[in-house]
Amino acid sequence: MTPRTFTIVGASLAGATAAATLRDEGFDGRIVLIGGEERLPYERPGLSKGFLRGEEQVDDLLVRPPSWYEEQDIDLRLGVMAERLDPSARSIELSDGDPVGFDAALIATGARNRRLPVPGIDLDGVLDLRTVADAETIRRRAADAGRIAVVGMGFIGAEVSASLRTTGVDVTVVEPFETPMYRALGAQAGQVVAQIHADHGVKMRLGESVDRFEGDGALRAVVTELGEEIEAQVAVVGVGVQPNAEIWPLELAADGGIPVGPDLQSEIPGVFAAGDVASHDHPFFGRIRVEHFDNAIKMGEAAARNMLGASRVFDDPHWFWSDQYDVQIQTVGRADDDARIVMRGALEDRSCCWFALNEQGVLRSATSIAWPRDVRRAIKLVQAQARPDPEALADPGVDLRTLMPEGGG
Amino acid sequence: MGEFVTVARSDEVAEGTATAFVVGDDEVAVARVDGDLYAFSDICTHRHCNLSMGGEIDGTSIECECHGSRFSMETGEVLNPPATEPLATFTVREVDGQIHVEPAE
Repeated sequence: MTPRTFTIVGASLAGATAAATLRDEGFDGRIVLIGGEERLPYERPGLSKGFLRGEEQVDDLLVRPPSWYEEQDIDLRLGVMAERLDPSARSIELSDGDPVGFDAALIATGARNRRLPVPGIDLDGVLDLRTVADAETIRRRAADAGRIAVVGMGFIGAEVSASLRTTGVDVTVVEPFETPMYRALGAQAGQVVAQIHADHGVKMRLGESVDRFEGDGALRAVVTELGEEIEAQVAVVGVGVQPNAEIWPLELAADGGIPVGPDLQSEIPGVFAAGDVASHDHPFFGRIRVEHFDNAIKMGEAAARNMLGASRVFDDPHWFWSDQYDVQIQTVGRADDDARIVMRGALEDRSCCWFALNEQGVLRSATSIAWPRDVRRAIKLVQAQARPDPEALADPGVDLRTLMPEGGG
Repeated sequence: MGEFVTVARSDEVAEGTATAFVVGDDEVAVARVDGDLYAFSDICTHRHCNLSMGGEIDGTSIECECHGSRFSMETGEVLNPPATEPLATFTVREVDGQIHVEPAE
């Protein structure tokens, strides 16, 4: 019998994790891992944190050590773009070389940064952050210039601001929402994040958009829609992403991702998607596309098991964190728009955890600022769709682990 | 067999907690669960956070506070990612109210 071929498109965190899980689960067929970057799979969170501050090296970021790929007999194709998945031939067409066939395939191609559609975006010094090379460029040029403008104060903008500020760089932010991390945290908690950055000397133009980047070949200033000029030779733009879904031959989901069912399998049998590119029909949250680290690992693992026939629903509730200065922000799950919020601790103290309950009292999400443990403890509660007593949630003396429903956990 | 080193008095590692000690060249965490002691590298193999600082003990496993890696304190095995490499474990014993750890070779 010919050994089966499992082809993974995306030498990413999700892709490499899936390859490792396939081997851990005893798959001894052929594994092809295709990556567009000329680099072994690496973790990206450090690129806006320790690596950007110069405290971590590339080797610290690798998902697996270089020797692992040979030891595990992974057919690694780096620096090759996958162009199209052919559902009838069951193969992946490459930018370079013969198509790669598959018995099962995983698409874990991630996302790329959205480009801001304003004049001057191509000027030298207007940068964005996605890869190791991007982070190296930002670190070097920010240090040379001594000052930067940060456009967009979502996760990436907030972390880049904190990391560069920590290394002594002068930082000015332009953000169209009135508070940082508005989509992730909402206005009240975002206000706390704004205060933390202000305390560290970050200048913020909140509620303002960029009109254009000015300069003659090289960036000289960022100009806001109110006409304010921020002198800068270097700007880092972090305004969201779009999925790398060009390989997908069928219709995309409304969020731009590759539509997959609860078990991460697409409408093409045996073809799965995981990570940022996957538009997942989540059993609790409905169709959702998540752009975070832990989800990429957990989806990679789950997709690999389902490629082997496990047929398991992926119900991980999504956990993520952000490090800014000495403050860690964490979230598990997703709050509904009309959620009832229960607060543990106080936002004014800049140390708190809050919980979002739906109409039925089911815990849907937990978020914390500088408040250890409770979000991690809430993961199991969200996953169990628990209905904890709101008074107990609000009481810092109550260990969340005691709120697990009977028979759960 | 290396020579055991005395790292602490027994009452310095309370039930359900982990405390770190320097043993030879290693930072070793000693944890106590149901009276039994476990000794393992205090350094998470993912991003080198100290497990004894904020790590949450659940049964005989410990979860790193930084990014959620979970390890068996008994075997060092990874029980939850993002860590992929196991923790080193050490032999630990309790004699006459003192905790002894055997340094790595």
